[in-house]
Amino acid sequence: MDEKKTPEVKIEVTDGAAIPIEKDEGLFTAWRIAFFGSIGIIIALCVFKPDPYLEILKFVPDGVVVTFEVTIISIVLSFFVGLLTGLGRISKNRAINLIASTYVEVIRGIPLLVQLFYIYYAVGSFTRIPPFFAAILAMTICYGAYMGEVFRAGIESIDKGQTEAAMSLGFNKRQTMLYVILPQAMRTILPPVGNEFIALLKDTSLVSIIAVADLLRRGREYATSTFHYFETFTMIALIYLVITLLLSKCVSYMEKRLTPYE
Amino acid sequence: MNKKDAIIKIEHVYKYFGQFLALEDINLDVFKQEKIVIIGPSGSGKSTLLRTINQLEKVTSGKIIVDGVDVTEPGVDLNKIRTSLGMVFQSFNLFPHKTVLENLTLAPIKLKKLSKEEAEEIALNLLDKVGIKDKANNYPKQLSGGQQQRVAIARALAMNPKIMLFDEPTSALDPEMIGEVLDVMKDLAKEGMTMVVVSHEMGFAREVADRVVFMDSGKIVEVGTPEHFFKNPIHPRTKQFLSQIL
Ligand SMILES: Nc1ncnc2c1ncn2[C@@H]1O[C@H](COP(=O)(O)OP(=O)(O)OP(=O)(O)O)[C@@H](O)[C@H]1O
Ligand SMILES: [Mg+2]
Repeated sequence: MDEKKTPEVKIEVTDGAAIPIEKDEGLFTAWRIAFFGSIGIIIALCVFKPDPYLEILKFVPDGVVVTFEVTIISIVLSFFVGLLTGLGRISKNRAINLIASTYVEVIRGIPLLVQLFYIYYAVGSFTRIPPFFAAILAMTICYGAYMGEVFRAGIESIDKGQTEAAMSLGFNKRQTMLYVILPQAMRTILPPVGNEFIALLKDTSLVSIIAVADLLRRGREYATSTFHYFETFTMIALIYLVITLLLSKCVSYMEKRLTPYE
Repeated sequence: MNKKDAIIKIEHVYKYFGQFLALEDINLDVFKQEKIVIIGPSGSGKSTLLRTINQLEKVTSGKIIVDGVDVTEPGVDLNKIRTSLGMVFQSFNLFPHKTVLENLTLAPIKLKKLSKEEAEEIALNLLDKVGIKDKANNYPKQLSGGQQQRVAIARALAMNPKIMLFDEPTSALDPEMIGEVLDVMKDLAKEGMTMVVVSHEMGFAREVADRVVFMDSGKIVEVGTPEHFFKNPIHPRTKQFLSQIL
């Protein structure tokens, strides 16, 4: 008996918010305390000290929209870049494999903030790139590399018997990937992708540095014009926290729904 | 049966895994409608030989001609050849994300361009034949091992292959489920399917095999009818092996 069953592979969570675990169910979970606590604090602050808290809350929604725009566009693009990178990383074609692997190595070795500066200021010194596009480009390139590793791990977690069964029926490599491997890999991939999503959302705060009017940038604008630094950044932190907690709840819900094939 | 009827011709096949010689000068003809059972100790190269027939394993040298086409030739359309070579694995390898019915219809729909209705009709007939029509809409995980293996056989048959290859189809099964899978294989044999089966089920070999092939250390040591093997095997390695498993 030469066939060994590979154990179910679970891709490790390395970043993003803590994904709620089934076990800590009950009235007082960490998630509930954090989520309802921060909403409670926001409401209390706005009710009892509307100036400046309510003013801040009214000032930043534009920024929330921009943060979401950057997040969603970047996540969709990096999903596809990640898929291509992941396929490249497992390709038997030496050249493609080397390109994909080098891309991942290089990008993972450079801090996102430096990449952002590089695209906006360094590349921007030759050809002017609007900040919004520079932001999306940098996020996509960076998270495409991270996502590539998630895809690679997901694809490699599928038993090689699946490929053999598909090939023995007459499917070519592309069809095997499309109909048999990727649909299964998606199940392993979705939770960590969701997690990258949360990490990416938080990292979009970096783009405020290159004049993209996201949530953090709006906060800074408000703070510098009113000198309410403490109040403003308290509100900004609470809003980020609420958004991130909501997203992590979605991810854990998705994870729960996805596990069994029944 | 004369030489002209050979549907698989294996000629001087060698297979190296790195420095390791897994197949050494293998020569074997399989005739139309013939049932071959391959036996031999673990690591003797049985799976490797079977997998070279549909080229899941490339050969290092030698030729394998399947239904008139040399499959070892570079540039040959392997995907097309594989549609006429069904394969059943020890570990079933059903597609877990598809229902039983979808497992059977996926390849006919995508590769033979059958309509969903046509493919499902064929699939349901096959499921009926292997006795699990009522599980058509279940997922593989919800089936017992014996049922999964019968689905795997039906999935291979859905492509209407000329030859069926089996790699130890019952050795991952609980003993009480072996019979139901062997019964399906016996029915298939009666219908005249050409079959190459790696198996140590000697009862099955005795009942179904036209010839038994004994392999050891990458070589074919002895070929003969089941009676020959049970009554008077010649080679000492064959005798020793048979005394262990019988
Ligand atoms: N991909 C591979 N790489 C390296 N060595 C391999 C590979 N596949 C098989 N082998 C070696 O080739 C030899 C023959 O393997 P094979 O799987 O064909 O044996 P087998 O007769 O089917 O044995 P079993 O009864 O255990 O299934 C073994 O020694 C095995 O370790
Ligand atoms: Mg084997």
